[in-house]
Amino acid sequence: MRNWRAEISAALAKAGHDPDHDVLEELAQHAQAVYDAARADGASPADAATAVERQVAVWAGDAGALERRRRRIAPALPPPAASSSWIAGLAQDVRYSARLFRRQASFSLLVVGTMAAGIAATTLLFSVTYGVLMKPLPWPDADRLVRLKETRGGNPPRFNSFSNAAYLAWQTEPTSIDTIAAWSPRMFTLTGAGDPERIRAIAATASLFTALGARPIIGTVFDVQDETPQGSVVVLSEGLWRQRFGADPAALGRLVQLDGQLYRIIGVLPDAAGYPDRETRVWVPLRVAPTTGNFLSMFEAVARLRPGVTAAQAAAEGTARGLAAPAAPDMEMVVRAIFGEGGAIQVSATPLRDALTAEVRRPLLVLLAAVGLLFAAATANVASLQLARATTRGREMAIRSALGAGGARVTRQLLIENLFLGLAGGVTGLAAAALLHRVLPAVLPPDFPRLAHLALDLPVAVFALAISIASGIAFGLLPARRARRLNLVESLSEDGMASVGAGRRSRTAQARALIMAGQVAIACVLLIGASLLGRSFLALLSADRGFDPSNVLTARLQLPRFAYSDERRAELVEALTARLRAVPGVQAVTYTDGPPLGIYGGTAFMLDSRQVQAASHTISPGYFAAMGIRIVDGRDFTDEDVATSRPVFIVNRAFARRYLSAEPVGQRVRGWVRKGRGHWEVIGVVDDVRHRGMTEPPELEVYLYREGGVRRVSAAPTFIVRTSGDPVALAPTLRALVRQQDASVVVDSVSTMEDRVMTSLARPRLYAILLGGFAGFAVMIAAVGLLGTLSYTVAQRSRELAVRAALGARPADLIRLVITQGLGVSAVGVAVGLAAGLLMGRAIATLLYDVRPSDALTFALVPVALLLVTIVASFVPALRASRIDPLRVLRTG
Amino acid sequence: MDALARELKRGSAELMILALLDERERHGYDLARLIGERSQGAISFHVASLYPTLYRMEEKSLIEGRWVEKAGQRRRRYYRVTAAGRKALKSHRSVWENFFEGLHRVAGIKHA
Repeated sequence: MRNWRAEISAALAKAGHDPDHDVLEELAQHAQAVYDAARADGASPADAATAVERQVAVWAGDAGALERRRRRIAPALPPPAASSSWIAGLAQDVRYSARLFRRQASFSLLVVGTMAAGIAATTLLFSVTYGVLMKPLPWPDADRLVRLKETRGGNPPRFNSFSNAAYLAWQTEPTSIDTIAAWSPRMFTLTGAGDPERIRAIAATASLFTALGARPIIGTVFDVQDETPQGSVVVLSEGLWRQRFGADPAALGRLVQLDGQLYRIIGVLPDAAGYPDRETRVWVPLRVAPTTGNFLSMFEAVARLRPGVTAAQAAAEGTARGLAAPAAPDMEMVVRAIFGEGGAIQVSATPLRDALTAEVRRPLLVLLAAVGLLFAAATANVASLQLARATTRGREMAIRSALGAGGARVTRQLLIENLFLGLAGGVTGLAAAALLHRVLPAVLPPDFPRLAHLALDLPVAVFALAISIASGIAFGLLPARRARRLNLVESLSEDGMASVGAGRRSRTAQARALIMAGQVAIACVLLIGASLLGRSFLALLSADRGFDPSNVLTARLQLPRFAYSDERRAELVEALTARLRAVPGVQAVTYTDGPPLGIYGGTAFMLDSRQVQAASHTISPGYFAAMGIRIVDGRDFTDEDVATSRPVFIVNRAFARRYLSAEPVGQRVRGWVRKGRGHWEVIGVVDDVRHRGMTEPPELEVYLYREGGVRRVSAAPTFIVRTSGDPVALAPTLRALVRQQDASVVVDSVSTMEDRVMTSLARPRLYAILLGGFAGFAVMIAAVGLLGTLSYTVAQRSRELAVRAALGARPADLIRLVITQGLGVSAVGVAVGLAAGLLMGRAIATLLYDVRPSDALTFALVPVALLLVTIVASFVPALRASRIDPLRVLRTG
Repeated sequence: MDALARELKRGSAELMILALLDERERHGYDLARLIGERSQGAISFHVASLYPTLYRMEEKSLIEGRWVEKAGQRRRRYYRVTAAGRKALKSHRSVWENFFEGLHRVAGIKHA
């Protein structure tokens, strides 16, 4: 075969013209056809060639008319392949990428949007995980700080974590630790220098500041001499100092009132070094009481390890010191009251950071893994889009190769394009994460540890950029690999003209199907996790806690602690109770020192000749009715019990089961720790109340009425008001009544019992919502990916589908064909996802309540839901397939 | 050739190309062959002017060309009529019909 193209080119060049290669190609094609036609008519090869040459001569005669105006080759002219230097080429590639970005705005925005959403979510979660779990604590050598815990007979104490007995035994000349410090949280009403204000305070030993290595901004911190029972000095937080004293150094030496007591300001601690967190406003001295008599005081404890000493070594020393210390003879009862068990002191030590974050570690890591999967799905979606586009851009790449661009050059170009997109996504995502960061404090439960340490700082920004670059490379590599082994035949066979079945077999289609299955698998895992957490949360919400939280308003009051006598407090609460009962819509009013889900103490006493312990609540008559706690046997307290100081009490079911006979009502016990001697009679048994989460076994509890003779009333009683309507509506009335009754009483917290339940469920709710959101996003990505992939294969297989249609396939058959293909891909993904879902279930098993990690309903419904989504997502491409006009498609062949 | 003849020729060339492409997609050689065949040689469409005409029409978006490759064959440039082309064809046809109608009335020239 003669090379007509070269001859035509030469002829036209001779005439002084140089038409573009498309024209040459077309004329060459024409020339060949003329030649073939002449040969078919019986001409000799020489005659046929002469006919062609005549034709060429005619073209050359009017060559000017053949100068076709060059059409833009989409998307833009490739940069010249031969660059003078590598750097120049790089700059060119970057410029070209920017131009491409503008040219294909909608595609670029789709990619950048997908990446930005993924990067924002991942960055946000990384910043929380990093800030909470990894960032060093704000004190020097903070890795040497350990949190101490004491157990007796394996039991932790009912409240706080360390006793004065263990503390004092270890305090003098320790060998494994530099310093031991005790601290205990308090709430104070701050008066003087502005409006009264409830503030969070820490009572701490002077050694706390030594242990932490915390230095004041101005002034000084406590000395051991300041540790008196009613301390008279205070260290302010930087925040409080700025707020109340305008950061005036002259504040040193001034007096403030905390709960009516006078304290002298001696120093200001920087907010960054606030212990245990930035919310603490003041520190007052704590004196660790000696273990004389049967007095055991409880607090929290930290220690600074000596360099090179492990936490375990320190714990061993603490335990040994406890064993060596002489125990006070009458201590056993108190120890049982507090720990629920007797026995020697056992000390454990945990790195402070781990201790602060233990509860959120696993959920955070699970959520980070989930968001990582989501990000992988988003990246895969972009990779899939890029693969499809690489097919349509095959021509461009082929031209570049033809113009001499080496494989490496084309790869680099594609990588730079995708890095460009990835970075654009990263920067947008980082900006979105920064915005979301502002709402974080409102979204996270207030008791979430180290909230103040969350920041979009350098490590987080580096992380965001790193993942955007990594993802850019990931979704750039696939098309780049494809470009390297590009050949014209393959690139052109992947259009509608491909022969039957070729479309489905093409490597691009295979890669996209694989990506698709992966996305479905990811959606499946996340859906399973979300479903398990969601079902667990619903179970928690509807769980029987032993009380009825609906239509109950609770309000904790802070009565002046020192200024009011017991009698005055009792009169105050009784008067308030009476006034509240008179409010329309109020069904019952009662008060307690320890409401459900609140804080309460413990007690221990003799039962026959046995020592027993229980949590204790002091209540007023009518408490069970108001709180909706069922009385399963016997009766409630009456006003007469209170008036006559009758020695009676009420226990819960767990207590009765553990300590009392089958007929508990009427049984008598002897010897209260708190209440002197005498016989006390059980008059009722009530249902167990779940205070500490549904997964904990019910506590042993006793209920005591407010003692008539002594008339002791807690300084912080909680009022319980059951209403006929919406309890929230009563809150203003309650506040007003308290103010009228006594303006010096602070209403500390007013909330409905339902809110308290929700607050106690804030974390499970957050985890369920977050994972649910991720799962929804993942399903969306999978559905969009499925739609794209199937549309692509339908376009690829149009010829095959047309043949089928021509051979009698009905539209319904074609729809079924496409949907079956989608379902096939999804089924693979679902199978992998279910297997991974079992792992997911195991990872979150400890977060689940009343739902098994392999919950049958979840594992049955998630696949069904995903297959339904698949059918819906397949429907659009399937419909397109069914509308293929065989005549049109086949005729163009 | 005077201006009118040139205009006539150009207009008729466009009409013929549009009419042929309206039936189906075709490549250049096909067009040249068909014009020769169907006019039974009466209109020998000069190949030199076929491609410039095609390129001009493509520029005016009356037609569009694309490269198609079939197994074992050289790739070929196929042309098809665009929506604008179809509209142009309609108006061309009515112009020519009016023209022939006029010629017929005046000069007794008939058209098929």
